[in-house]
Amino acid sequence: MLIINCPYCGPREQCEFTNGGEAHVARPSDPEKVSDKEWSEYVFFRSNPKGIYFERWVHSHGCKKWFNAVRDTSTDKVLKVYEIKDEKPSLADLENSNLTTPSGEPEVGSGNFTVRKI
Amino acid sequence: MSAKDNKDSPYIAFHQSVKFTFDGVKYKGFKGDTIASALIRNNIKIIGRSFKYHRPRGIYTCGIEEPNALVQILSEYSEPNTRATVKQIYEGLKIESQNRWPSLENDLSSVNNLLSPLFSAGFYNKTFMKPRGFWKKVYEPLIRKAAGLGKPPKPFKTKSTQLHHHVDIVIVGGGLSGLLAAKSLAKTKLKVLLIEQDSYLGGILKNSNKISTIESKDRASWIKDVETEIEYSKNIKVLKNTLATTYNYINYLIAIEDLTTGMMPLEGHADQILHKIRADHIILANGHIERLISFRNNDLPGIMLAGSFEKYIQRYGVIPNISPVIFSNNSSSFSLIKILIDLNCKPQAYVDSRSGDKIESSLLDIIHKENIPLFTNAHVEGCDGKKQVEEISIRDSEGIITKLKSKMLCISGGFNPDVHLFTQSKGVLTWDDKYLTFKPSKSFQNTIVIGSAGGLFQYSKLANDIDSKLSFLNHEPIVNINFELNESDNYSIEKLWETKHEKKSRWSKSFIDLQNDVTTKDLRQGIREGFDRIEHLKRFTTNSMGTDQGKISSINALGIVSEILNKKVSEVGTTIYRPPYAPLSFASIAGRSTYNFYDPERKTSIHEWHKKNGAVFENVGQWKRPWYFQSYLEENLDQAVQREALQIRKYAGVLDGSTLGKIEIKGSDALEFMNLMYTNNFSKMKPMSARYALMLGEDGMIMDDGIISKINDNHFIATTTTGGAAKVLSHMEEFSQTEWPHLNVFMNSITEQFCTFNISGPKTRLIMEKVFKHIKFDNESFPFMTFNNFTYLDSTIRILRASFTGELGYEIYVRPSIALKLWEDLFRFGKDEGLIAYGTETMHLLRAEKGYIIVGQDTDGSVTPQDMDLEWMIGKSKKDFIGKRSLTRSDTIRSDRKQLVGIKPINQKNIIEEGQHIILSSNVKPPVKMLGHVTSSYMSPNLGHSFGMAVIKDGKNLIGSRAYVSSSSRDAYEVEIMKSVFIDDENKRLVS
Amino acid sequence: MKKKYSIFNIARNAFSNHENWQKMWRSPEPKKNYDVIIIGGGGHGLGTAYYLAKEHGLTNIAVIEKGWLGGGNTGRNTTIIRSNYLWDESANLYEHSLKLWEGLTHDLNYNVMFSQRGVMNLAHTEHDIKEIKRRVSANTLNGIDSKWISKEEIKKLVPIMNTDNLRYPVLGASFQPRGGTARHDTVAWGYAMRADEMGVDIIQNCEVHKILTENGKVIGVETSKGIIQSKKVGVVASGHTSVLAESAGIRLPLQSKPLQALVSEPIKPVIDTVVMSNAVHAYVSQSDKGELVIGAGTDGYNSFTQRGGFDVVENTIRAMVELYPVFGKMKMLRQWGGIVDISPDASPIISKCDIQGLYFNCGWGTGGFKATPGSANVFAHTVAKNEPHSINAAFSLDRFVSGKLVDEHGAAAVAH
Repeated sequence: MLIINCPYCGPREQCEFTNGGEAHVARPSDPEKVSDKEWSEYVFFRSNPKGIYFERWVHSHGCKKWFNAVRDTSTDKVLKVYEIKDEKPSLADLENSNLTTPSGEPEVGSGNFTVRKI
Repeated sequence: MSAKDNKDSPYIAFHQSVKFTFDGVKYKGFKGDTIASALIRNNIKIIGRSFKYHRPRGIYTCGIEEPNALVQILSEYSEPNTRATVKQIYEGLKIESQNRWPSLENDLSSVNNLLSPLFSAGFYNKTFMKPRGFWKKVYEPLIRKAAGLGKPPKPFKTKSTQLHHHVDIVIVGGGLSGLLAAKSLAKTKLKVLLIEQDSYLGGILKNSNKISTIESKDRASWIKDVETEIEYSKNIKVLKNTLATTYNYINYLIAIEDLTTGMMPLEGHADQILHKIRADHIILANGHIERLISFRNNDLPGIMLAGSFEKYIQRYGVIPNISPVIFSNNSSSFSLIKILIDLNCKPQAYVDSRSGDKIESSLLDIIHKENIPLFTNAHVEGCDGKKQVEEISIRDSEGIITKLKSKMLCISGGFNPDVHLFTQSKGVLTWDDKYLTFKPSKSFQNTIVIGSAGGLFQYSKLANDIDSKLSFLNHEPIVNINFELNESDNYSIEKLWETKHEKKSRWSKSFIDLQNDVTTKDLRQGIREGFDRIEHLKRFTTNSMGTDQGKISSINALGIVSEILNKKVSEVGTTIYRPPYAPLSFASIAGRSTYNFYDPERKTSIHEWHKKNGAVFENVGQWKRPWYFQSYLEENLDQAVQREALQIRKYAGVLDGSTLGKIEIKGSDALEFMNLMYTNNFSKMKPMSARYALMLGEDGMIMDDGIISKINDNHFIATTTTGGAAKVLSHMEEFSQTEWPHLNVFMNSITEQFCTFNISGPKTRLIMEKVFKHIKFDNESFPFMTFNNFTYLDSTIRILRASFTGELGYEIYVRPSIALKLWEDLFRFGKDEGLIAYGTETMHLLRAEKGYIIVGQDTDGSVTPQDMDLEWMIGKSKKDFIGKRSLTRSDTIRSDRKQLVGIKPINQKNIIEEGQHIILSSNVKPPVKMLGHVTSSYMSPNLGHSFGMAVIKDGKNLIGSRAYVSSSSRDAYEVEIMKSVFIDDENKRLVS
Repeated sequence: MKKKYSIFNIARNAFSNHENWQKMWRSPEPKKNYDVIIIGGGGHGLGTAYYLAKEHGLTNIAVIEKGWLGGGNTGRNTTIIRSNYLWDESANLYEHSLKLWEGLTHDLNYNVMFSQRGVMNLAHTEHDIKEIKRRVSANTLNGIDSKWISKEEIKKLVPIMNTDNLRYPVLGASFQPRGGTARHDTVAWGYAMRADEMGVDIIQNCEVHKILTENGKVIGVETSKGIIQSKKVGVVASGHTSVLAESAGIRLPLQSKPLQALVSEPIKPVIDTVVMSNAVHAYVSQSDKGELVIGAGTDGYNSFTQRGGFDVVENTIRAMVELYPVFGKMKMLRQWGGIVDISPDASPIISKCDIQGLYFNCGWGTGGFKATPGSANVFAHTVAKNEPHSINAAFSLDRFVSGKLVDEHGAAAVAH
């Protein structure tokens, strides 16, 4: 189980949290003005990168606060947590995720070439 | 030649004999014996039958890696597949052999062995295809009947518990390396947990004769001294009889402690503890595992790994056979030979695949001195014997075969670092060309591997290994440690995975996986058929898929495959070990969160009243809600609901609605927020009034409904469905915190702060006036959909005029502490007016009669407000609310979507069933085109017939026409499609 | 040469000591150019190649697999096969698949051990009952052999089940007798062998790095073995599909999440059908080897690590112990995880996209195995004809724009 460092409560087991999907997906400010396609992008389409991923969590069995995190989905390593009001962190400020083959995969077949790195 | 006790072992209580039975025969062992050591003491060789060929099998190892000696424990809960090499005996233990019929000696299925040339890899997939109908009726039942090893266990409820640990360091393995590491950490401030699977610490010091003295002490005293030192240090906790099974992400280790080692587990008691450990660093000191060598009939009872043979002597005080033949490709058997000589049990012969010049001189010296027949540069070609080893064929470098009569053969194919846990941690392995094995190289977590687990097989380098790896912890360096050894400090090995068969028979077999009966021939065939990667081959042959997960043979398989393919082992791939390290009981994983504690029951404050008054409950989420109330003991659901429904429309009824979610919303932007969350427009609503409201998802589909009470623009109270309460609150929290954080609004669940009673029916006003004498309930003072706060028993209560049933009704919100008192008051004054308590089923019926939808029953996540004929609830003037935009997509504006309608049978004798479908004709021969389905249906005592609500394609336009509805009896009845309001279309009752 | 398998052929091979078995498939080096490239050598991908060759006469095909055949979700799932889905669109697709399963062993002359032992979906609440009865009715009218069975009938089929003394008692179930299980690996092997015989190049150990496009058209793929050209590329890469789509600039509404499963030690037969329970999230069947094969739920976050949380396994095991008291002292032998690609409506996407010649077969979430033959069959049609088969027309990418979803989690309330 992952450990998530709640910005308000500190590190806790992941089962205390609920994942809220991709972060920084803005709701169209004037929904009536966007096309069906643009609206569907907001409702249904989320990035699904292998590697660096900006996501939302809520400490649902804790302080109930929402916050953002940067996690490497190829290793599950959480690189940063930050408050909703904070700016999206620049990748340059993050610690390198030091990725090779975390699932013990052979070099070919790991899919790791696709990893979005810093 | 038979077994003999070695009374030098300090771990067996030779003065305490223990009686047990195996296949109905009584035997005697000693306290501390495992089933295996006790059976060896009694000269029992055959323990079970193999999976596929039903060949007799004996005890191959002396530990958790055992592939063969699996037994069923008849006492306790009839545990199947128990490793005889691990489970300790106790007085009265009853054991049975597995996978044989009628008996272990004469197993009829051993005919499979005769047919074995056919049972090649992939056998099942290439046959059983003809004749066509035979698969389902003949072949499949036969195959499935042959499945499995042991029989299923009996139900056995334990109080197996779980413990959480948060420590700095975990040391896995209390052997030599683990003890040295612990000793060096004893003087630090680090919180350390030391885990040992055996009942005693010591590892190789306890299990073998390899080390004669350590720090000039004999082995047992050294262990004792270190253990005392660890105990004294207080920063180290030792868990014995505890096996680390699972190494998860972020150094999260699962270990299972057996609390009943050598004891009978009792039902209702804690027999195991599952330790859940988070550690900053995990030190793997879990040693190594000996591997086999494949040769003809290398599965016969009487063949045992050499290290295990030695462990039986040292750890369990039994010499399995006083004169074994030893076959090895490495230097490790020296200590075994030495102890056998010391115990006056000289080996019958020593066979070494290495040439004489490569064998350690110390080993040769002792063999020569004792006149032990020596075969160098020689292989065991195979063994023969009916049910156990009787004759061993040894082939020397010139190919000459010597046959020895012997009942015991000890083999050693070298050692593998036990990398199971390390690979679970996702650590990467590397091939060691010197020791011919995989060893840990790169770890991806804070993992430190020391000693032989890390591939170090030299005692003289151990101190340095540990010191260098632990130095960052500021431990007390070990610096140096002196050993006196009964073997060479330079472990050497020569490559030998399999010896060549002399006689080429279609029946000869060299096993690679003993439990699954996989032979080296199967591996060859797999490669021939195209399975040239080890993981792929594993699936084709089932190699190392047994309960032992190929602990003693998976590296051998890699070795054999690499030779066949003429590739390096590292190119063939590594086997991925999947957790757990050894099978883990479900009960221990479930812990106490089962049986009574599976999921909490939520009960309202007047639950006990309901119970006393004939309530039959249903589960709604975690809540227990009265489903209906029995007025007499035999009254069934239908009878009760018909009675309740009539009574309420005629007199009055009260429903315990406390389970409905209640959320309080406050803040200077509360109004704006509510207008965004719900479809309705709350702006023009007067303070202290209420409104039925809809909540949508961003996809435009109905998510929840409820009544919104507006105290003022800065303060609202929302009710939700019982099941939707948590979801609605988190939905609100999510949008307020992430999408509109600029809005000043806060929300809080007050579901459990108030009980809610919904009272309705024509007599309601009368009753309310009697209960609350100071409150005016007339239409003018208390109009429909308004609310106010009042005082009752010195406490504030809130009364809202609203109704679930379409009758005159009120909702009373009251503190739980006085809820029962109020409920009883209602009945005190209401009984004479015909007031009854009713349950959810009647509530559903009454709602349906009025065409009120139930979210989750009449909706299913695929309907919009328009579909439900609730367009009037959409605040058209609002610029935005959640889900609004989705209502105008091309599919949601279609006019022929599925829409809510009412239906009633043309022939009133017909009963409409929920979940059945609306179809065009009475023809139900599939495939039948479906217009939609019946979302709710009831027998209405007020209408005198069955009726229903349905969502059907183009429903609005079909009102007034007829269609058919299917039924569970595979008939279809004609129905009339109508508006979904069946009673009081004009809402006269509601505002009466 | 076509390989014919039978007991006689095994006997012949037994005489030669099993030294003359033919390779089931070649290990070709990739050619420069193919008519169709299928990315992903699992059951769906290999099946697609098989049906392209068999039914559409296309044989100049490459199936590119980064690992070994069937080594992904095909070899990691709980092998449950059923077609009792709620909506007509899903029912048609899964029933098409089930019918193909029924003939697959003979079609391939390779025994996929399709075992029609029946699949049961339990109801634990009144709400479950309503939803299951609705599904049974829809299935019946669609010609799918689904029926409602009472607690007593459940007890007869699964005597070891505890129906009464548990937190959420068992109130009834739907039962589909034609449902069951199959031996997962063999499906991939069987398709691979027969596709190979018809000339399909199966290229293992070759990883696609990028889908190459030019002027809105697909032109090939860049792989660890170099560039391979083709005007048609079908992506059937489960968890990694969206990553590959992104390389062509296509955004898919998929999220990749860990899904875990486990098996117990092998025991003698104890449970004769497949039993699924959505309410307590546990499904189980017993393999032909005697292991209980148990599926757990997905973890709630995106991950490509093929590893989930132990808490998810715990929850599943708790439910198993509740439902089956005899399992309390069973032991978990192995647990593992895979990556599943989940779509917003829990239905698959079998579709063309804005790039000409690029096709996707994805979004199977937790339930793709059962659909293997049907999915492969209609996807082959879609790729060959450049238009969907009538069965998969509803499963297009457009549905997320129009809103015409095939929402299988809302209503069906069935774990896949």
